[in-house]
Amino acid sequence: MRKVFILVLVAAMLIGGGVVSARQEKSITMWHIQNTGDGPELLQQAADRYMADNPDVSVEVVPMQNDPYKTRIRTAMGAGDAPCIFLSWGGGPLYEYVKADQVLDLTDYMNADDYAANRFVPASLSNVTFDGKIYGVPVENTSVAVIFYNKAIFEQYGLEPPATWDELLAVSQTLIDNGVTPFSLANKTKWTSSMYYMYLVDRIAGPEVFASAANRTGGSFEDPAFVQAGQMIQDLVNMGAFNEGFNGLDYDTGQGRMLIYANQAAMELMGSWEIGNFLSENEAFYAEDLGIIPFPAVEGGVGDPSNVVGTVGDNYYSISPTCEYPDEAFELLQYVIDDESVAARIESGRVPPVKGVADLIEEPILKQIVELVENANSVQLWYDQYLPPELGEVHKDTMQALFGLDITPEEAAQQQEAAVAEYYGE
Amino acid sequence: MAARETTWTIILFLLPTLVFLSIFVIWPIVSSFRLSFFEWDGINPVKDPVGLDNWSRLIHDGIFWKAFRNNLTVVTLSLAVQMPIGMGLAILLEQGEKLFIFKIFKTVYFFPMLMSSVAIGILFKYVYDPIFGIINPALEAVGLEAWTRSWLGDTGVALYAVIAVICWQYIPFYMILFLAALRGIPEDLRDAALMDGATEPRYYRSIALPLVQGTLRTAMILSLIGSLKYFDLIWVMTEGGPSNASELMATYMYKKAFPSFEMGYGSAVASAMFIIVMVIALVMQSLTSRFETEV
Repeated sequence: MRKVFILVLVAAMLIGGGVVSARQEKSITMWHIQNTGDGPELLQQAADRYMADNPDVSVEVVPMQNDPYKTRIRTAMGAGDAPCIFLSWGGGPLYEYVKADQVLDLTDYMNADDYAANRFVPASLSNVTFDGKIYGVPVENTSVAVIFYNKAIFEQYGLEPPATWDELLAVSQTLIDNGVTPFSLANKTKWTSSMYYMYLVDRIAGPEVFASAANRTGGSFEDPAFVQAGQMIQDLVNMGAFNEGFNGLDYDTGQGRMLIYANQAAMELMGSWEIGNFLSENEAFYAEDLGIIPFPAVEGGVGDPSNVVGTVGDNYYSISPTCEYPDEAFELLQYVIDDESVAARIESGRVPPVKGVADLIEEPILKQIVELVENANSVQLWYDQYLPPELGEVHKDTMQALFGLDITPEEAAQQQEAAVAEYYGE
Repeated sequence: MAARETTWTIILFLLPTLVFLSIFVIWPIVSSFRLSFFEWDGINPVKDPVGLDNWSRLIHDGIFWKAFRNNLTVVTLSLAVQMPIGMGLAILLEQGEKLFIFKIFKTVYFFPMLMSSVAIGILFKYVYDPIFGIINPALEAVGLEAWTRSWLGDTGVALYAVIAVICWQYIPFYMILFLAALRGIPEDLRDAALMDGATEPRYYRSIALPLVQGTLRTAMILSLIGSLKYFDLIWVMTEGGPSNASELMATYMYKKAFPSFEMGYGSAVASAMFIIVMVIALVMQSLTSRFETEV
């Protein structure tokens, strides 16, 4: 009996450690997916600084992998067990959470002392603003998709960065003839291949064609622009522009970048967060051989070639309504994007979505990214983040089948249109 | 009096397990069935009743039936590969028990059982990598370029590539199970058989195998149900891709319930899986028991 009693006591002390301590501690949990390179330290350091200034608050920062996170957060919300601070990419999925009353309205916090207006690039807030209210804080990065290329390989075969699609095809052919894979692609992840499609549609017809199809304002996913983009992709696949077996390779475990590091592939179309990965995984390649090329113009296309696909903000942090200490949580988020954090992020190859960031950046590749975004007439948010989740999944599945040559460009267009029409009950 | 006391004792002893089962197994099954009649995204407080919509969608859902067929492929190949190899290894280990080297073999064979599925999945993602993996370069080294494939990226091969890993993972389990059953046969039966002039192979065929029939049957049913519910390795290695080529019922259920926010339809898939697994397991059970009484 005495043994049992002691066991119970020990258990109680283990479980209720906080209860036993003399001082009441406020605790905040934060989930994030910055798990490569310097990502975990960036957030942990900000949390440590916050805790040093606020000894009565304890912050637990939990890093996770990208794709598993998407499921975990939903399960946690469904169970009423969401962390205080969680991330999203803004757009459709965040709006689902907002409609389900799972996100705290941050408008008053953001507008206090004109904080948002003075701190953030205006474009960064549009992905988290719904019905005139702000639901997230843009933090991580200005991420736009660009073509990363190996300058040494281009030099070796006397190639110039392509400015048009035809030039890109010619460059690809030269590389293929010399036994180099033009583009590395890891497409088990599916959103990786979507980048080609989004850019081609934008270059062929401009951003309106997607917006009017997705928002059901008269457009359709069977618009010729979508079919043409699909056709151009399949031509690229057929000529051998991608590494074999791409549909079975996982971006999250670095199987795409391995080809670049081994000099087996010359280019990769990817979000600019890839700079941080290059920097931390292979500094020699980053320093000597890495260059970037904006996505080329398409002959006869009406889209503005300065347009970019991506996001100004990347990961937005939101606060859950079940959070006991929303004031503290928001204050913590301000630490996460204060000047010291911004400097650390730039150091690790990121472009935080704050005003005046261009003046702080000296690193040439990052500067190019910032200029691209500043000169862009439109920033097309990733389709799978813009669309409601159900349709985002359909889009990604369609992309994998399109790149795998399992369906025709027409079928890809029809399948997406049918899913969108059904979703909106047309 | 005594009988009644026994009954009460039985009930009393079963009670904790029953309570536990009801809360963690039976109730979730019932609520999944209930959810399958609603449209729900999994986070909204409101659930829309939609009657049989999810079920009629399921009946006409080509991808679900493709996943079902893939499950049957996993079942067939698992039974055809795991049982014979598991039994063969068990016999081999029993034969060589006296030799020290076999102790090492046993440990080595058992090793895959000790690894987590996710670790195995990630490991084999790299093994199957068409360029940096082990398999393609090995094939090229021995002049079999024609046999190289992009294993996980090829719609015709991906499912079989994953099944090979599933077999690699589970054979040790059946090996240990069969080894224990073979050891359970009284030594004097073997001695008597050998005395009567039976060879070792003959002993296994005519005496050992019939005696471990019960274990074999249990193993087959375990393998069958496991294959019908299979999820983890496929999810880690291919996520059911490319283009649903390696989709199983469980991966499809997960995709619908979680990434696409269709909890109602996901529950319909889960309930259909429950019915299918139940029916197939019962049929299998009755078939094998009939077979046993005939022996």
